[in-house]
Amino acid sequence: MFIQIKDLCFCYGSTKDNTIQDFNLEIDQGEIISILGESGSGKSTILRLLCGLETPSRGSISIDGSVMTDERRFVLPEKRGIGMVFQDYALFPHMTVAENIQFGLKGFGRKAKKQRTDEVLDLVNMTAFSKRFPHELSGGQQQRIALARALAPKPSLLLLDEPFSNLDADLQIKIRSELKDIIKKTGITSIFVTHDREDSKAIADRIITMRDGAAHDWESICTTLSDQTQAELELVDMK
Amino acid sequence: MKLFRKLPGYMNIWSLLSLIIVVLILLPNLTILINFFTQKAENWGHIQEFILPDLLKNTSLLIVFTGLLAILIGTSLAWLVSAYDFPMKRFFKWALILPLAIPPYIAGYTYNGILNYTGVIQTTLRNQWGVEVDQKYFDILTLPGAVFIFTLFLYPYVYTITRAFLANQSASLIENARLLGRNAWEVFFRVVLPISRGAIVGGVSLVLLEVLNDYGLVQYFGVPTFSTAIFQTWFGMNDLNSAIKLSATLMFIVFAILIFEKVLRGRKKYSYTTAKVRPLTPIQLKGAKAWMAFSYSLLIFLLGFLIPFVQLVDWMFLTYEKIASPEFTSLITNSLLVSFVGATMIVVFAVIIANFARMHQSFVSKSAARVTILGYSIPGAVIAVGISTVFIQIDQLLFGFYEMVGMEPTLVLSTSLFMLISAYVIRFLAIGYNSIESGFDKVGNKFTEASRMLGMNLTKTFFKVDLRMIKGPLISGFILAFIEILKELPLTLILRPFNFDTLSTKAFQYASDEQIHEASLASIIIVIISGIAIYIFHQVLEKEPN
Repeated sequence: MFIQIKDLCFCYGSTKDNTIQDFNLEIDQGEIISILGESGSGKSTILRLLCGLETPSRGSISIDGSVMTDERRFVLPEKRGIGMVFQDYALFPHMTVAENIQFGLKGFGRKAKKQRTDEVLDLVNMTAFSKRFPHELSGGQQQRIALARALAPKPSLLLLDEPFSNLDADLQIKIRSELKDIIKKTGITSIFVTHDREDSKAIADRIITMRDGAAHDWESICTTLSDQTQAELELVDMK
Repeated sequence: MKLFRKLPGYMNIWSLLSLIIVVLILLPNLTILINFFTQKAENWGHIQEFILPDLLKNTSLLIVFTGLLAILIGTSLAWLVSAYDFPMKRFFKWALILPLAIPPYIAGYTYNGILNYTGVIQTTLRNQWGVEVDQKYFDILTLPGAVFIFTLFLYPYVYTITRAFLANQSASLIENARLLGRNAWEVFFRVVLPISRGAIVGGVSLVLLEVLNDYGLVQYFGVPTFSTAIFQTWFGMNDLNSAIKLSATLMFIVFAILIFEKVLRGRKKYSYTTAKVRPLTPIQLKGAKAWMAFSYSLLIFLLGFLIPFVQLVDWMFLTYEKIASPEFTSLITNSLLVSFVGATMIVVFAVIIANFARMHQSFVSKSAARVTILGYSIPGAVIAVGISTVFIQIDQLLFGFYEMVGMEPTLVLSTSLFMLISAYVIRFLAIGYNSIESGFDKVGNKFTEASRMLGMNLTKTFFKVDLRMIKGPLISGFILAFIEILKELPLTLILRPFNFDTLSTKAFQYASDEQIHEASLASIIIVIISGIAIYIFHQVLEKEPN
C-alpha cells in the first residue's frame, strides 16, 4: 500500500463532535482517487490532515512506508513532500508565473530550476506565460499554473481541493479531461476532493463517498453494517 | 497523547518570541495589581477619605457627559454623511475626523486662550464695541469646559466607526425601512440606532478610555482626576505605593468599562466581515434641509478643528522667531526619534504576535492577542507607575552586575530612554496589532499554506510570502503608532530621562507656565503631522479599491 490512513479522527478546536470519525483508506501508487461528498462532510479536512495543515486527534497516516503522523510523531507540512492545488489556487500575487513555480524548487541549481520550470510549463501548455503575474491570467490559466507549481518539486502525492469550483461549466469539462491527461502522464498518485459526481466519474480510478466524516467505498473498512449498505446504495446510484 | 503531535507545530521561534513579549507586557500591569493588595501606603487612608470621592465624582461626570455628547454628535454626523448628499459633503466626510489631530490638552489651552480676558473674543468686544463681559461666562477652566473639549476632540472615534458600519453594512436594512414607508426620523431612531449599537458602543468606549488616559487637559483645567492624583501622590507626596493603589483603582474602572462594552455590544461586531459590501446610496437633500445639514457639519468642523487651528497659526506667527532655536530643533529630533524607534518596535512585536496567533487558533494564542491589546485600555499614568516599578526592581537586581563592569551601582535602566520607549510599546502595541491582524485576516492563510506545501518552513514563508502580503497594513500600523507616540503626554512627562523634552512635553510646559502663545509652534507641528496622517488614511486610502 502506498498510502495508508488508519482510524483517523479529528475535531475542530471548539466543537465536541468529531469532524472526521474513524476514517480508513488505502491507496495504491499511481491511483487517482476522488473523494466525493457534500459541503461539510469533512472531505477537505481529509486533505488538510494528509498534508499536515491540521493535526489529527487519533489515528495514523503513512505515505510510501514512512509514518507522517501517529500517536507520538508528527511531520511538519513542509517536510512531507506533498503537492497541493488549492481551491482558489493561492498563487502568490507578488511573483510571476515562473517565480511561483520556482518557489518550491529548493535546492535546485539555477539551471536545473529553469529547466524544471520549462518542463512543467510545457506539461500544462503554458510556456508562453512564464513572465505574467497571476492577476494577468484567466481562471483556467491560473489553475494550470497552480497545478504546474504543485507538480514542479516532484511530490510523492498530489492533492487537489475542489479544483473546478472556480471555473464556469464549459471550461470545467475541458479542463477536466486535460487534468486527467496531465496527471496520467506524470503517473503521480492523486487525491482530489469534489462535490460534483461528474467530475469524479470523469477523472477518478476510484471514488470514495464521504458522509458524516467517514469513508464509504467497497474497499475501505466501514465501521457499521448500516454504513456498508448505505454505501452500496450510494454506489449503485452513481453507476 | 495529542500533545506529542501538537508539539512540533508549537516549537518555533514565533511562539517563543510571542511568549516573551506577552510576559513583558503583563509584568508592569501585574505588578500594580499585586502591589495593590500587598503593599502598605502611608497616605492611602488620607487619600481614600479626602481625595478619592472627588476623583470618583469628577471621573464619573466626565465619562457620562462626554460619552453621551460624543454619541450624539458622532452618530448624527455619521448618519448625515452616510445617508444624505448636501453641499460639501465629500469634504466633511473626512474633515470631520480632523479634530482627532488636535490632542485635548492642546485644544484646551487654545480655547482658554481664545476665551480669556486677553483672548481674541473679549479684546474684540472691548475694543470695537466697548462691551465688558462677565468673566464667569467665559471661564472654560471648569468641569463642563473639560467635557466640551473632550467631546469636540474625541467624538470622531464614534463618528468614524459608526460611519464605516453604516456605509457598508446597513444598506439593505435601511432601504427596506424606507420602502416600508418610514420617514427619515423613524428610520434613524428605529433602525439606524439599534443596528449600529455595536459600532457606537465600540466608538464611545474608545472615547472614554481616552478621557481616563488624559492628564494634560484635566491638569490645565484644574479638574482633579485619577491621572492628576497619581502624579500628585507620586511626585508631590513622594508616595509611590499610594500612586500604585490609585492606579489599580483606575484599572478596575477601565475593566468595568471594557466589561460594560462587551455586555452592551453583545455578540455584535462592528467590523464588516464579508468582502462583498453594498454601499448605502445617499439621498440628495434640497433647500433648507440641505443647508441645515451643511451648517451643522460646518459648525462642528469650525469648533473642532478650524477655529483652534487658525488661532494656533496666529500665535505661531507672533512667537516663532523667539521659539525657533537650535534647542527647538532638538525637540523635533527627540520627538521623531522616540516616535520612530517606538513605532518600529511596535510593528515588529505586533507582527510576531499576530503571526503566532493566526497560525495557532488556540486558547494560548487568543490570550496572547488579548494581552497585546490590553495596554491600549490602560491609562498612561498607570502604565508609567507599573513600568517604573518594574524597571527600578530590575535595576536593583542588576546592581551587582553594574559594579562588576565598573559602573556606579545606580539606577541605569530606569533613568534611560529605554524605559520610555518600552512604555510606548506597551501602551500602543494594540494600534499596530489591530492593523496587522486585519491585514492577515484579509489575506487569509492560503498563501502561507501553499508556501509550506512547497517545502518552505514557517520563517522562510514569513519573509518570502507573508511579509509581502501585509506590506500595506504594516505601513498603516507604523504611521498610526508613530502619530500616537508623537502626541503622547502623560507617559512622556513621567518617564522621560532628565532634561529630555519632546514637542508635546514642551507645549504642555509652556501652556502650564501661562505662555500659551509660546506653546503654539510645538503644538502646530504635532497637529499638522497628525492631520496629514488622517488625510492620507481617510481620504487617499479609502479611495483605493483594495
